[in-house]
Amino acid sequence: MPFQRILVAIDGSESSEHALATALELAGLTRATVLALAVEGPLPAYAATIGEVEEVRREKDAFFSELVERVQARAAGAGVALETDVRPGHAAELIVQYADEKGVDLIVLGHRGHFLRDRMLGSTADRVAEHAGCPVMIVR
Amino acid sequence: MSSIAIAALLAATVLVASMASVEIGLSVALLELLAGVVVGNAFHLDIPSWLAFVGSFAGIVLTFQAGAEVDVPQLRREWRASVSIGLVSFFAPFAVVGLLCYYGLGWDRRQAEIGGLALSTTSLAVVYAVLVETGLNRELVGKRLMSATFVTDIATVTGLTLLFIKPNVWIVPFALVSLALILGLPRLAPRFFSRYGNRVIEPEIKLVFASLFLLMWLGQRSNSQAALPAFVLGLALSGHFVTHRVEQERLRVVAFAFLTPFFFLKGGMNVSTSALWANLGVLGLLVVGKMVPKLGGVYPLARRYTAPHAVFTTLLMSTGLTFGTITSLYGLNAGIIDRTQFSLLISVVVLSAIVPTAIAQRFFQPRLAPPRTARGGEVT
Repeated sequence: MPFQRILVAIDGSESSEHALATALELAGLTRATVLALAVEGPLPAYAATIGEVEEVRREKDAFFSELVERVQARAAGAGVALETDVRPGHAAELIVQYADEKGVDLIVLGHRGHFLRDRMLGSTADRVAEHAGCPVMIVR
Repeated sequence: MSSIAIAALLAATVLVASMASVEIGLSVALLELLAGVVVGNAFHLDIPSWLAFVGSFAGIVLTFQAGAEVDVPQLRREWRASVSIGLVSFFAPFAVVGLLCYYGLGWDRRQAEIGGLALSTTSLAVVYAVLVETGLNRELVGKRLMSATFVTDIATVTGLTLLFIKPNVWIVPFALVSLALILGLPRLAPRFFSRYGNRVIEPEIKLVFASLFLLMWLGQRSNSQAALPAFVLGLALSGHFVTHRVEQERLRVVAFAFLTPFFFLKGGMNVSTSALWANLGVLGLLVVGKMVPKLGGVYPLARRYTAPHAVFTTLLMSTGLTFGTITSLYGLNAGIIDRTQFSLLISVVVLSAIVPTAIAQRFFQPRLAPPRTARGGEVT
């Protein structure tokens, strides 16, 4: 059965751009809908001032607004139906949970994100591949 | 090591702390504090006078900013719940830690008061970040919690100013100038800011800094200190900043880029790891002295005012960071507490920022999880 709903995780990294391109290509072939999920990392833990929290929050908002607009433009250019969502949380946990919630057939992920902590603690892709309830494609 | 060499070393440390903060998602203040501990203990640096000066001023700027962050209309709406939770959150640990330090640890009265004050605080920023993460900042529970935290902060700065005052004749001009600034600046601000604001030379920031320096000088001359008037001045200007966010942002940029890093570094550099190691039992006692009365005092009120999130609320009210650091540094700079006592208090403050927050988020975080952003959409 061809894929009907493809989830792609986006974070603006080069790796996630490759994943998005692959997801759009697959969706074009199978006439699937792409669900692009951006996971916002946590606000600074144990902040000393509200200003520090608000600044990071604003930066994230601006970054993800621009990211979503860019992804929407690429999907429109490829003629692929797209749903976008931005949610705060732990990346691997949220991607797996979101895939279940939305009845996704395939998860497409870049092999690594752009934060040092992803590289130090093991990649999100590894953890999603281990816990997802559907096929996972990791794109290099 | 020369003064300029120390400046270069500390500037590099601040830079590394900022980069690490972005990469690992930890507060830059906490990392600056920890970096200060490492640098101070590894290089055995004496705190240069310029760092002591910048750090002291930064403490007052942080206090002013904390006042400016108070949501006064919200505080008015939720005053009943806020005042009861906030005051219990302050007085319970203040009394217990103060008595523990005085009778249990043999500290003198003023040292015990610094101990009680430093460990009575609740961290507004830690609470705010967790509330935003959970979406609770939009709920009544979150609003009450923020307002209660404001009340605890107000109680702490009031205690810090009133308990250690030894007034002389300068108290009169100090009080008069404080009143004049608190009443006059909010009235002057709109005209001043519209005439001189929005320029790279930042006259509005200079106005705030000049006011704070004046308060610090008069506070010093009157054997008092400027924490309370600085906080209330921030509070008085909070309404102005609500409608002039850019000005508040610029003030934050100046503070975060140059002032607060040296405040937290200085705090960390004064921590003696060997003194901590030798007093681990005392450290444990102080942690218990802060947490037990906070939890025990706030929980019954939280059940009444913030149900069904009473445990979550109680844990967040037990956090502390900025005002705990400000109070401890004041005690050290004024010669009230020694370096060992300071090291113990700062360590408890840092632990209280991390441990209750981590427990609250791991085990008691409400499962509201609404998206913090609403940029989702569809294209076909």
